[in-house]
Amino acid sequence: MAVTGAGIEALLSRLLSRERGKPILRPNKPLVLKDEVANKKTEKGEASCITEMSILMACWKKKDFNSSLCSKEISDFYSCVGRAERRKARQQAAVGQGKKMLPKQANVLLKRYPNLGKEI
Amino acid sequence: MPELEVTFTVTVMKSVTLQEVNLNSTLCNYYFFSVNSKFINMIMQDGNKVLSTEIVTQTLEAIKRKQVEKYHKAPAAEREAIECNPYTIFHQALENCKPVIGLANIQKGSRTYQVPIPLTEKRRRFLAMKWIITECRDNKHRRTHMYEKLSQELLSAFANEGNVIKRKHELHKMAEANRAYAHFRWW
Repeated sequence: MAVTGAGIEALLSRLLSRERGKPILRPNKPLVLKDEVANKKTEKGEASCITEMSILMACWKKKDFNSSLCSKEISDFYSCVGRAERRKARQQAAVGQGKKMLPKQANVLLKRYPNLGKEI
Repeated sequence: MPELEVTFTVTVMKSVTLQEVNLNSTLCNYYFFSVNSKFINMIMQDGNKVLSTEIVTQTLEAIKRKQVEKYHKAPAAEREAIECNPYTIFHQALENCKPVIGLANIQKGSRTYQVPIPLTEKRRRFLAMKWIITECRDNKHRRTHMYEKLSQELLSAFANEGNVIKRKHELHKMAEANRAYAHFRWW
């Protein structure tokens, strides 16, 4: 039912009319668009740096949690975490410039330019 | 940063009497300024910044005094190993207290699990400072001054002993015990 522009009013009047039996639409709220978009469930990613973490924990178990003896594993873990964070930051930036906007970003824009309910 | 004329008074313990530490040098040490000022803000209560800066400067002075005393009592062979600079002691103590891994409460189904997660540098520094301050506030004798308690705690953290280090180790142990839940993270 993808109708654009002026055709919408005609379609709505057809859906709401009682001329052909029961109306198809029975709106309990006024048919007005809100100034926000519904939040979509984001895809759940995978936990990052699990291998580094498990190596670190194995080292800890062996060396009785003495962090100074596990310095190599710790530095590996930190570098992995840094890489994961930078990757996430790059992804966030890329999504902002791609074809689809995140619901959050869309809401920010819609709030700035809301639907006019009254004549100014 | 504009060029600053910084004058240091050298604290020389030749005789028994100590000369005063030049308080200007504390705030002009740019290397530690940001870390120090965070610590000062965290100690501050009711917006009393004057009091908290006083406490921190007194802490650094107390650390210096104790270390210089140790330096002079030690035989010549061990003197090299004794660190007298209160800034490096503070920095190293903080580093020793920082946890490597943290725990987060993640709900899966009806149960909340403690999941080991990597921590950001900011969070680690915050946790270290918070632990030191709460340890000094709660677990020490009521009649000792805060700067005294802080200097004790910082010196033992510098040597990798004390309650804050113990708390960090307990966190690591909990994380290690819960390593099976690490996959519950989604970021």
